[in-house]
Amino acid sequence: MIELLFALSIGMLFGIGVFQLLRRDLVKAAIGFAILFSAINLFFVAVGAFEGEFAPYVSNVEAGRQTSDPLIQALILTAIVVSFGSFSLVLGFVNIISRRYDTVDSNDINKLKH
Amino acid sequence: MELAVITGVPFFLALLLATPFARSTFGKSSQTLISTAVMAALFAGLFIALPRLQAEGVITQTLTWIPSLGISLSFYLDGLSLLFALIITGIGALIFFYAGFYFDDAREHNRFIIWLLAFAGAMLALVLSGNVLMMFIAWELTSITSFVLIGFKGATDAAAREGAFKALFVTGAGALALIIGLVMLSAVAGQILYPHEDIRFVGDFASILQAQTIYKHEWFTLIAILILIGGFTKSAQLPFHFWLPGAMSAPTPASAYLHSATMVKAGIYLFARLSPVMYKNELWISSLLTIGLLTMLVGAYFAVKQNDLKGLLAYSTVSKLGAIVAMIGLPQQSGLKAAFVAIIAHAFYKSALFLAAGAIDHATGTRAIDQLGGLRRKMPTMFWVTVVSALSMAGMPFLLGFVAKETLLDAMLHFDAPRPQFVMVMVVVVVSTVFTAMAAYMLIYDVFMKRPAQRLHFHQPASWIRLGPALLALGSLTLGFLLEPLIIPILELAVPKAFELHLFAGFNEVFFLSLAILLAGLILFLLRKPLIRRITFPFSGDEVYREFIAYLEWAGTTILHTQSGYVRYYLVIILGAVAGVLIFSGKLSDVIAGQQIIPSDLSVTITDLAKIFMLILTVTAAVFTVLVREHVKAAIAYGVIGYAIGVIFLIDHAPDVALVQLLVETMATVLIIIMLGRIRAGTRLKVINSLWTGRHGHNVGLLRDLGISIVIGVTVFLFSLISLQNRPQRHSIAEWHLTHAKEVNTDDVVGAIVADFRGTDTLLEIAVFTTAALGVLTLLARGRKRGGALTPVKAQVSALPEFDLDVVDEIQDATSLSTPFTRSVSFIVLPIAILIGMAQILYGGNGPGDGFTAGVTIGLAVSLWYVVLGYNEAKNLLPWFRPALIVRLGLVIAIVNALFPVSIGQGFMGHVEYDRALGIYEIVGSFGLHITSSLIFEIAIAIAVMGGLGIIIEAIAYPTDRSQDLAEAHDAERN
Repeated sequence: MIELLFALSIGMLFGIGVFQLLRRDLVKAAIGFAILFSAINLFFVAVGAFEGEFAPYVSNVEAGRQTSDPLIQALILTAIVVSFGSFSLVLGFVNIISRRYDTVDSNDINKLKH
Repeated sequence: MELAVITGVPFFLALLLATPFARSTFGKSSQTLISTAVMAALFAGLFIALPRLQAEGVITQTLTWIPSLGISLSFYLDGLSLLFALIITGIGALIFFYAGFYFDDAREHNRFIIWLLAFAGAMLALVLSGNVLMMFIAWELTSITSFVLIGFKGATDAAAREGAFKALFVTGAGALALIIGLVMLSAVAGQILYPHEDIRFVGDFASILQAQTIYKHEWFTLIAILILIGGFTKSAQLPFHFWLPGAMSAPTPASAYLHSATMVKAGIYLFARLSPVMYKNELWISSLLTIGLLTMLVGAYFAVKQNDLKGLLAYSTVSKLGAIVAMIGLPQQSGLKAAFVAIIAHAFYKSALFLAAGAIDHATGTRAIDQLGGLRRKMPTMFWVTVVSALSMAGMPFLLGFVAKETLLDAMLHFDAPRPQFVMVMVVVVVSTVFTAMAAYMLIYDVFMKRPAQRLHFHQPASWIRLGPALLALGSLTLGFLLEPLIIPILELAVPKAFELHLFAGFNEVFFLSLAILLAGLILFLLRKPLIRRITFPFSGDEVYREFIAYLEWAGTTILHTQSGYVRYYLVIILGAVAGVLIFSGKLSDVIAGQQIIPSDLSVTITDLAKIFMLILTVTAAVFTVLVREHVKAAIAYGVIGYAIGVIFLIDHAPDVALVQLLVETMATVLIIIMLGRIRAGTRLKVINSLWTGRHGHNVGLLRDLGISIVIGVTVFLFSLISLQNRPQRHSIAEWHLTHAKEVNTDDVVGAIVADFRGTDTLLEIAVFTTAALGVLTLLARGRKRGGALTPVKAQVSALPEFDLDVVDEIQDATSLSTPFTRSVSFIVLPIAILIGMAQILYGGNGPGDGFTAGVTIGLAVSLWYVVLGYNEAKNLLPWFRPALIVRLGLVIAIVNALFPVSIGQGFMGHVEYDRALGIYEIVGSFGLHITSSLIFEIAIAIAVMGGLGIIIEAIAYPTDRSQDLAEAHDAERN
């Protein structure tokens, strides 16, 4: 049951993120971008952390408790920080576009490709 | 002497001379002496290896590189490598000495020899490498350094840029073919040597040369063609020869070194290296022979048509390279001896001629043969150098070139082929050598002896410039008499069969043919005025190249038309392709068929209820970000998503991830809000108002975007459901981590993985993060003046009437947030944040929190200052907070900490217990601390992350000079 709900939420978050990216508003597109990241991180932790009943500490392991998967958590931990880095890069792009072209409407800046 | 050291020394010296310290300490003359001495020492070091090589045949040395993939840095020294390495270092020493007097400007000289040293290292790596992959990397490095050296004067000289690009394009394209050929070759060698294993790549030359039956393999034709293309492009063989004359824009020392003595012979080296396993194939040797002979003829003919002195030398180099390739293509490897003698002789006379040409160019300012003349009295040394070297090129008895031509003619006369073929080959060889003799006479007479057309400008170059060319000419003059002690011992190692080599083999047919050629060359020389420029070729490789480049540009423009620039367009194509592959391969239906979408078990536990609540909150907030009009509310809704997911992590027993998630999402939300303050409200209002209406008043676009998002959302939903229901059993490595974490003195297994087990990964992640931060800085720092005023200028906006700035921007003024209360909060929060951060680092091993969270915590407190106080005041009050320095500090600590264990015999990023080593384990242990390399790494992570955040915050909070931005935009529009 909970798997279904998780999958449903991840799918909805992903769809909403993509929808924001497709719209014209660059500020909301940046937020959509961040929502995409959240959906992906949620997915990975959900896949990795389900089985365990306890946090992955040595003391828990020694007490014979079933812990969650530490490896995927370590990967997501760094991924969160790195995705924040790329998110700030996106914000930087929005910022510079608004400064140079005085717009945050993606339809207005289609000339950038040349 | 270690081969790895020999290869590494030039690179090291190049790096050393590139440091500001070396540039300011060593003048031009000391740099010249250092580089010359180093090359001479390398030459001596290689020469010393000769007796050992005579005893052992081959010296191999291996440094482990990526053992799990079977890739190693292996070095291989046999007679062939030794021959080339001696030329590279020996000629190199003279070139480096010469370069010291060729350049007048010390900075130019420094820049030149740095690149020339890098080239020398790459070239040595090429001939000393024992592995096809390493050889290929060196091969490409020589192309790249050659590109830089040809384009050395590219800043002012368009021809230099074009020549450099042409050379890189042709040799780079050839290298693409070569790498495919080499990989296939090593796969085939693996099949032959290990027939019972599936796929095994054997890249070591030592092993490849054992696989004698390669030439019978079904792939061999393709392998041969690919390797031939690689070698032909590098060694300027027809029809790829045209890049070499174009490369003459390089400074002359580089032309003499790269484009005559060493790099252009890399293709020849490769052919000779692989010859033992390839020569039994008919295609291989006939291609070498045919292309080589054609190149020899065409190069020799074009040489005498040149008016540019270096152009003449370049084409005659092309011709000689063709001759050498043709000799490697003689059946049964019978031409190898002649090829190697030619390589040695050519290195001596052609480098000398190039260096003399450089001195002439330096002295007179021109290289046009019809303007030069009468230099015999002004430059007597260069005259005699040219006489000896040109005659050696022509094959005058009893110079070194004579030996080369004798062995060439001898090898060709013994070419065992059907009569018509033999006659054709001999005609080509004789005609080419006649042209070469003619070019030699032209060099001597037209440059030095004939009366110049008009008075030449002349200034005598420094006298030491003569040393290099003079020594080379001396070599051409005397080495013919010193074959026995000097040349033959090296050749004996390189040539597979027993051979004889004499300066004078008696009055036989070869000798008389040789004399006849010299005489015929003289006759042609006397008749040159009416003869030259009569025959023209219908097309040249250069024109084909130009056509090709024009076609490429056209193709590029055409492809650009397919780019719409809309995100939806790309998303549809990407997803459509993925969906197409899934559907048509039948994978999708296979996977869905076995799934139960609606679970049978609908029971939920209490913790599940909490999770469900958080999931609902997340999705609701996400929908809210779409529907809400105000950007600030959308940003806060985004913060809610981040927090809710953080709570889910917490419930799912991932406390470390939860902590990072909460902190980072706070930071992200703050960042969005700061950024919103930097965009005019009017600008944002415009886009908000048009959000739900299409451009033409209808909503087709909205429906289309909704459709795309729903398709993607459903796909991701199905994918995650299947993944979650079939999630794999925990990987064994995770179990290993759980049981071994206590060996690195941590309780928190996630922290142990981040800082220790997968530390290299983390090191790269913080590098990526700081690079992203630098990206933000570069984006937003445009137009910022160094040391300029920090206050925004509010003027000249009226000059740009189409931008209406009347709309008041209420968040623009950050100081409106600055109330006494917020100020005191921000003052109190920062020290507390620093304390919390330190606690998280020091005690991160026992609970949630680590370097990442510490860095973000402190970064958050600092960003609060920027939000509350504004950029200027925050910058003034926090003088110690210099993000760029902090980032560097963090990365340096991380790298030093990672490298230190290597020096004490542990691996990269090995775990070191400093507290035990210092004997304070008990003392710090009583505070619950362990001072280990992991702890230092956590500190480094915290510092780097804090610095990266600081860079981002500073860049985004920097007061903008909007009028300047708009003016820039206007300029961009106009261009």
